[in-house]
Amino acid sequence: MSGRLLTPVRAQLVARTILWSMMMLALTVLALVLWFVLRRGLQHVDWAFLSQPPTDSGRSGGIFPILIGTLEVTLLGVATSAPLGIGTAIYLAEYTKGGRLTRAIRFGSECLAGVPSIIIGLFGFVLFVTTLGLGWSILAGALTLALMTLPLVIRTSEEALRAVPAAYREVSLSLGASKWQTIVRVVLPAALPGIFTGLILGLGRAIGETAALIFTAGSSLPHQVPRSLLDGTRTLSIHFYQLAREGISADHAYATAAVLVLAITVINLGSSFAMHRFMRRYG
Amino acid sequence: MSEPKLDLQALSISYGQDTVVRKLSLSIPSGSIYAIIGPAGSGKTSLLRTINLLSVEVDGARVDGKVLLDGNDVLAPGVDRAMLRRRVGLVLATPQPLPGSIRHNLVFGPRLAGPTRRDELDALVEAALRSADLWAEVKDRLHGPASALSGGQQQRLCIARAIALSPEVILLDEPCSGLDPISTAKIEAMMRSLQARFTWVIVTNNTKQAARVSDRTAFVLSGQLIEDGPTSRIFTAPADARTADYVEGRFG
Repeated sequence: MSGRLLTPVRAQLVARTILWSMMMLALTVLALVLWFVLRRGLQHVDWAFLSQPPTDSGRSGGIFPILIGTLEVTLLGVATSAPLGIGTAIYLAEYTKGGRLTRAIRFGSECLAGVPSIIIGLFGFVLFVTTLGLGWSILAGALTLALMTLPLVIRTSEEALRAVPAAYREVSLSLGASKWQTIVRVVLPAALPGIFTGLILGLGRAIGETAALIFTAGSSLPHQVPRSLLDGTRTLSIHFYQLAREGISADHAYATAAVLVLAITVINLGSSFAMHRFMRRYG
Repeated sequence: MSEPKLDLQALSISYGQDTVVRKLSLSIPSGSIYAIIGPAGSGKTSLLRTINLLSVEVDGARVDGKVLLDGNDVLAPGVDRAMLRRRVGLVLATPQPLPGSIRHNLVFGPRLAGPTRRDELDALVEAALRSADLWAEVKDRLHGPASALSGGQQQRLCIARAIALSPEVILLDEPCSGLDPISTAKIEAMMRSLQARFTWVIVTNNTKQAARVSDRTAFVLSGQLIEDGPTSRIFTAPADARTADYVEGRFG
């Protein structure tokens, strides 16, 4: 009993205290950011701000076309990376046996994940905006975002598929299902919550993205709601950046930031709600 | 004796460099309960998983020899695996319901191949659950999650799920290893009552279970058949000393 300062009970206590402090620190930082943005921005957000086009470079008016443009770029981007990423993940998790090819694909996808978004933006500019002639457009921006979120979608989907118990596959095969039927009817539904989480993370990254979009979706201020996918748009985060950097309107900059933060919160809450309902029906 | 339902001829199974079953031959008569006993690691499960080709498809096993089902070799190239697995059901050691309701588990297999009409499926569900002696316990919660059943009920559900495909053979891999004696007794009674409809092959570590339930028993050691014969003889007058040691619990 004597001499040992760090008994297991004390070590446990110390570890718990340290972990608790870390958790509190992380939560506090998060809460501070939210509080700071919302306190300065929310007071300038009203229905007119949400529903009217900007005037006078954004000094007055609202953000309606920007809001719509942001949603279009983001949703189209994730809608493009989702099938590509999930398809790749199915191939990696179900059809390869950890060979050299699998490792090459996974390594490539991890490298892609490490590329700074401004470089992805530059690539998108060269490929989509100039070479393919899409111009600064919602389509070019969305395709660039798809490239950027692809590694994340592949990674999370692959993990989700691998987490499905092997016994489910064996049971399905034993009941006369083909491999493809097993994937579609057993493995994918079981992996869906994980895949969905990955898509939401991708959506969160995409909606706040600035650097990859300045070169591809453009940054000129839209005065009306984009009419086609070939119209350029400015996204919320770029709008915020322009208003703040050019010193146009701090109030409207913070109001835009507050809308962005709220939009991300709504997406996260809404999707987790949808996921819970899905789980209760099929889980 | 009439033609065997299953006839394994010089069957070898290996994984990479590791050969787990060596030139094993045995015949399983139609409509019998056939037990395969032997210590852990003697290749019993590989044997079972090879009869419905799961070992070849999932575990990457290499197989050699013949597995004749009604005289046709299931190891021959071009065999329709889905069709084979509808004729030869498999129940795993750990009860493994698919996520979803009890009904979903039962209609999963049939819906892949045949009836999709609701009333047909309902009739199928009831018949399969009655066969597995589970109907009375679950008839009011067919749409409830299968995972909420007890372990013994889950295993009977897995057997009912196999029965719902109207197979000819049902392979059981240690079906009672995690179950209490009462659940075990229910499963054994069910096998007896359904003996006329299916050929059962049961792999078990529990020699008493083999003695209780089976008509014929094979003793397998290190991937080789030591002997097989009527269960009563294997347990009272085994021909090989190793069999005698094993069934009397003096092995090792």
